[in-house]
Amino acid sequence: MIAFEHVGKRYGGRFEALANIDFGVARGEMVFLTGHSGAGKSSLLRLIMRLERPSRGRVVVAGHDIARLHASQVPFYRRQIGVVFQDHQLLFDRSVFHNVALPLVIQGVEPRESARRVRAALDKVGLLHREKALPIELSGGEQQRIGIARAVVNKPALLLADEPTGNLDPQLSADIMALFEDFNRIGTTVMIASHDLALIARLHHRTLRLRDGRLVADERAP
Amino acid sequence: MSQTPPSRRGARSHKTRLSSRLRAWARHHRAMLVDSAWRLVRHPLGNLLTMLAIAIALVLPAALWLTLDSARLLDAELEESATLTVYLAQEVDDVQAGRIEQAVQAQPEVAATRLISAAEGMAEFQQALGLDDALVGLADNPLPASIVVHPTSPEPAAMQQLSQVLGEMSGVDDVRLDLAWIERLRHLAELGRRLALALAVLFGLGVLLVVGNTIRLAVESRRREIEVVMLIGATHAFVRRPFLYSGAWYGVGGGLLALGLLTLGNHWLSLPVSALAASYGASFSLPQLDLAGSTILLSCSTLLGWLGAWLAVGRHLSSIRPR
Repeated sequence: MIAFEHVGKRYGGRFEALANIDFGVARGEMVFLTGHSGAGKSSLLRLIMRLERPSRGRVVVAGHDIARLHASQVPFYRRQIGVVFQDHQLLFDRSVFHNVALPLVIQGVEPRESARRVRAALDKVGLLHREKALPIELSGGEQQRIGIARAVVNKPALLLADEPTGNLDPQLSADIMALFEDFNRIGTTVMIASHDLALIARLHHRTLRLRDGRLVADERAP
Repeated sequence: MSQTPPSRRGARSHKTRLSSRLRAWARHHRAMLVDSAWRLVRHPLGNLLTMLAIAIALVLPAALWLTLDSARLLDAELEESATLTVYLAQEVDDVQAGRIEQAVQAQPEVAATRLISAAEGMAEFQQALGLDDALVGLADNPLPASIVVHPTSPEPAAMQQLSQVLGEMSGVDDVRLDLAWIERLRHLAELGRRLALALAVLFGLGVLLVVGNTIRLAVESRRREIEVVMLIGATHAFVRRPFLYSGAWYGVGGGLLALGLLTLGNHWLSLPVSALAASYGASFSLPQLDLAGSTILLSCSTLLGWLGAWLAVGRHLSSIRPR
């Protein structure tokens, strides 16, 4: 599903965010990406989302060499990836329902089908009763779950999450991780960047460890 | 990512995918048409001011155009109004005048003639100038009979030649060739036309700038939303669409306001203009935009609004990159 081949990323010619990253993630796998802040986790996710292009090496996601994607193909490529952001990236001028429906609107899904899928996604994250609420009325944990619902509403084959439990207490964090495990169980490839080492250790999944832009460990699940 | 359909259903599913994509496209257009109108209605004052700025920019060249049109300077009839006036000698009586007219009419270069007898000439003169009282005191009619000659060709050289031929006929006192004022009028018309065109281009650019600036602010205020939808796979066309509709709405609103202003100006000026015309014994009414003219004005303003939005969004989309 994801293949990094000797990938390097430099910003502004000097700062080396990533160096010689080499790994692969199989379809249906669940992988954690850890490391101190500034280790290159976000840069790596941005490469997969094709927000950046590698300075060196090749990044292949779902058969696409992302450096070779034409600008006009990028939107269609991104639709195959669900992304959960640390700061949710919700739109505060519209209801929970319309936030979750956004990817379907962009893809032109028929409204009735869209409503059905939005409700299914909201039900999955346990917030079906809040569909008419505005995001500002929700707690941080609830907002994060809305972000997850939006990421999975079009059933992406790959789900990326950047510090999804960053600002949540341990119980909420565990709930969120359980959600990701549920999606992984039905075949979604999941990659989660997180520095919550205690939580990761409890979950027993493959873990990629970054330090100063280099991949220093690739610990397979026991 | 393995979303390729099984091959035996490939063609059919491709067809349904295409038609459903078309429907989705039309649906989004409809939604954005309504959504952008709704956004305008929610901030009525600011948007009305934008539309008013557009309207004023449109009214000036439109009004100039109408004025030129009303003065018949733009008319093709101008060519036809190229005439020669043949003044007959004072002693020629009406019967002789009729014979002379027939002789003039027989010339191959002459298309039509009209005889104005001395009495008719006097009546026309009085009516045109409203000088009844001043002329009543005259014992004799000082005006000669005259023949207005429409030549077959309005070319200055041909008319010059014709005037020479006519001038040599007996009973003819003088031939007046009205070339000078025709030329002057023609230059004036050309000047007016160019002025109107230059103004239209200038103010059209003004409309582009007004809409462009308004849309730029709208893009800026929705920057976060744009970043988010681009992160989850929106195409540039999708992002651009609501702004293009906003621009078109500004154009429609500005165009309608311009039509309103023109009508208002027409009402405002029509009373003194017709009173003035009446005092000269003439009837003259200010020109109004007809249906075709109104349609052209509205289409132009809508197109300008749309184009202004396109330029503004195009310029700013490239600067917005998802974080």
